Amino acid sequence: MDAIFKDPVLLATVVGTSLPFLSMAVILIFTRHNPMLSSRISVTSIVVAAVCALLNLAKVAGASHPFRFETAWMSSGNFHLTFGYYLDPLSALMLTIVAVIACLVQIYSLGYMSGDPGYSRYYAFQSLFAWAMMNMVIASTLLQLFIFWELVGLASYMLIGFYYEKFSASQAGKKAFVMTRVGDVGFFLGIIILTLGFGNLGIPDLNNAPGTGTITTGFITMAALLVFCGVVGKSAQFPLITWLPDAMEGPTPVSALLHSATMVAAGVYVFSRIFPFFAASPNAMLIALAIGTVTMLLASTMAMTTYDLKQVWAYSTVSQLGMMVMSLAAGGYFAGVFHLTTHAGFKALLFLCSGIFIHEYHTNDMRVIGKQGGRKQLVPMICITVGALALSGVPPFSGFFSKEAILGALNAQANPIWLFAGLFGAFLTAYYSFRLIFHLLFPKGGIEEKHAVHEMDSHGHKEEHHGGLFWAMAVPVMILACVTVVLGFAEHSLQGYIMAGGGAVKHASTAATGGAAHGVVGHELLVILGISAGLVGIILAWFEYGRKGASRNGFLSYFPPVWKLFDARWYMDAFFRWFLDTAIYSGLTSIFTRNDRRIIDGGIDGICFFTETGGRLFSFMQSGMLQYNLLIMVLVAGLAMLFFIV
Amino acid sequence: MNSLNTYLIISAFLFSIGLVGVLQRRNLIGMLISVELMLNGANLNFMAFNRFLTPEPVVGQIIALAIMGLAAAEAAIGLSIILALYRKMHSINIEQAQRLKG
Amino acid sequence: MDTSSSLTALAQAAFWITIGFTITGACIAVFARNILYNVLGLALALTGVAGIYLFLGSLFIALMQLLIYVGAICIAIVFAIMLSRPLHLDTPPRPMPKVVMAVAASAVFFIGLAGVALKTKWVPAIERSTDYSVVTIGHMFLTRYELVFEVISLVLLVAIIGAIITAGFSRRLSS
Repeated sequence: MDAIFKDPVLLATVVGTSLPFLSMAVILIFTRHNPMLSSRISVTSIVVAAVCALLNLAKVAGASHPFRFETAWMSSGNFHLTFGYYLDPLSALMLTIVAVIACLVQIYSLGYMSGDPGYSRYYAFQSLFAWAMMNMVIASTLLQLFIFWELVGLASYMLIGFYYEKFSASQAGKKAFVMTRVGDVGFFLGIIILTLGFGNLGIPDLNNAPGTGTITTGFITMAALLVFCGVVGKSAQFPLITWLPDAMEGPTPVSALLHSATMVAAGVYVFSRIFPFFAASPNAMLIALAIGTVTMLLASTMAMTTYDLKQVWAYSTVSQLGMMVMSLAAGGYFAGVFHLTTHAGFKALLFLCSGIFIHEYHTNDMRVIGKQGGRKQLVPMICITVGALALSGVPPFSGFFSKEAILGALNAQANPIWLFAGLFGAFLTAYYSFRLIFHLLFPKGGIEEKHAVHEMDSHGHKEEHHGGLFWAMAVPVMILACVTVVLGFAEHSLQGYIMAGGGAVKHASTAATGGAAHGVVGHELLVILGISAGLVGIILAWFEYGRKGASRNGFLSYFPPVWKLFDARWYMDAFFRWFLDTAIYSGLTSIFTRNDRRIIDGGIDGICFFTETGGRLFSFMQSGMLQYNLLIMVLVAGLAMLFFIV
Repeated sequence: MNSLNTYLIISAFLFSIGLVGVLQRRNLIGMLISVELMLNGANLNFMAFNRFLTPEPVVGQIIALAIMGLAAAEAAIGLSIILALYRKMHSINIEQAQRLKG
Repeated sequence: MDTSSSLTALAQAAFWITIGFTITGACIAVFARNILYNVLGLALALTGVAGIYLFLGSLFIALMQLLIYVGAICIAIVFAIMLSRPLHLDTPPRPMPKVVMAVAASAVFFIGLAGVALKTKWVPAIERSTDYSVVTIGHMFLTRYELVFEVISLVLLVAIIGAIITAGFSRRLSS
């Protein structure tokens, strides 16, 4: 206990990562019927957590080696399991991202959720979410990480299904929970295999393992792929994509949190967390690279057809996650982490801006919002454009830098197909995000003036009435926009920070890139290619949606089957449904049902029948006379005694 | 004084007389009385061993006291059961208490 | 005949008289038809047992026997007899087969017990203290045999509560 107070880093970690849990407990137990107090408690605790995280970020930068605080948890034979904190640059950075984004989202929610009947519950779950994610980030062993990983899943389930009286919301929550669980089974199997084959689940130990030669490459491949199953589930990679777009059934701030810093980032974070371990297996890396690429392209195409504001950003999240996985799998460790960082910023920004529109116009449809004068909302309109520019990789916004880094990592791969896939993805990303922006800016058929005036009036009125609430939503958005603008220029300092600690990481990173130092194309050309991919996408979007007299249908509408394919999410949901219906429900389930009916039920019925009949047969011997029973007993005991003494 | 066997025979006799009562009385209170006799037989046994065999003559006395306590508890429970049974069946004849026969 | 032997003879006579009382009381307690006689027989037998305890050298246990058994248990039984109504009304004839069987079984048991008692070679402990004092019993009760003490206390407590609940609840249920 004393140790906690002696070490400022440990103290900050403990305080920062346990306060949200306390606030959840307090809210659920005491202040459920006082929404005001609940939100204040939750916001205060998350602000303190963010401050602690920033403090740790600074401390870790100054330290020569990672902080590791551990106590023994279980011990069995040679297998020792510890429980504790492991703070290296990566986890300190991630901790900061989580705490800051969660903090901004909670402040934003003060405005967005005001007047909601489940206000206290919302803040309790938000606190739970932040707590679970922060503890997952700094977990020192894979098992501890898995525990909080599941808690993150639980919290997101509760938040996605927040409007549980709405059928689609509860279904979406269920879907998210079940689909991520499919991946988690793999993750857990991976942990078991590591326990059996390696006997140590400590994250730094795992990362140093490939260098020592204690385990074979085949074993690493198997374990890494199983762990990657969890990443696939959590980060909505192919084929478990479809839960994420549905997850926007929750309140918009929840989507912002879910899509940027917490839930889906968890998967990529785990990948980068044990990156050196992964990197020791080229096969696993190749599979991860392929999955990331497929995910990115699929999700980008899905985003091109939907008119739902949040859904576009949801698909784009999936595709950006695919990009991060690609980057990591291509050995671009820093590029992946950097993109995770910048993406957390601008994706939260995009969702929060969309949230303001949705809050204002009570619809998710971008065409309707545009028609009703969405562009008159200056703050969210400017901010959402900033976010979209960053997403499209336009300089000087943060997304440009991280996307360039990723393209650089892909460029180092021997096979150029990955680079072209990345460029194509960047083009699609720019196209669909500006399709949305132009829909908002230049709606089809112009703004309906009467409606707009009315909205303006009510808006002005609202601003008087709910001034504080509006600014509670606007200020976090503006902060995020500023971060998005400047974060990119911090690339080199961040790179120094992240790569400072890990010799293993650096080694693995260079090993995984395959030493193709010169790359497919030159560095300058790559930058030009990256920018132009984004710009071409934006220009295409301008031609179709922005300029005067544009058709506003998109080139895809000329190919109805393709449009339909994209719109139906490549029939992935339909496939899952079909698979469930045929294989699970009518195959396995019916077998189990038959087993249950015939063998288990039948067996028990048979036993009952046998017992009952036997009882009836023998009941004539029971006279109900206590004393005769006793008599027999005494007689037998006495005779036994006589037998033994004679 | 007299030999250990004398006491043992006496205690065995008390026990057996009690046993006869338990096996044959139909009155529940009579059965209870017989059980008390059996307990006394056992107690006498302990006291006799205590007098003739043990290194420390305190042990048997403590056991005897414990058995007396048990007997008191048994009597209290037994009597309350008899009262409850009497209220239910308006009889304390053991041969009528055979509802469990089914 | 000197005084010591006459004293011994007197003690012997007293011993056998006590045993006679005990056995007579036991027989009355078991074989009499009237339940009140049974109780009185029981009291007589218990008093006899208390006397035997005196012969076994323990005044304390003898007094406790009188106090607990004769004083408390017999009175409780009398009380129960008074609470449960006309017992004397139903005195059906003895079911002879049952009595015979009971006596036979008990006789077998008695023969078994007596056989065990007589056949075993009882060996006294080599060193035997003669400390029968109440002080030692008290000490032992609170030191080495603490558990016995505690368990008995617990059992008595449970018995009291159980007796109250059994007797009390059935009253509420039946009325």
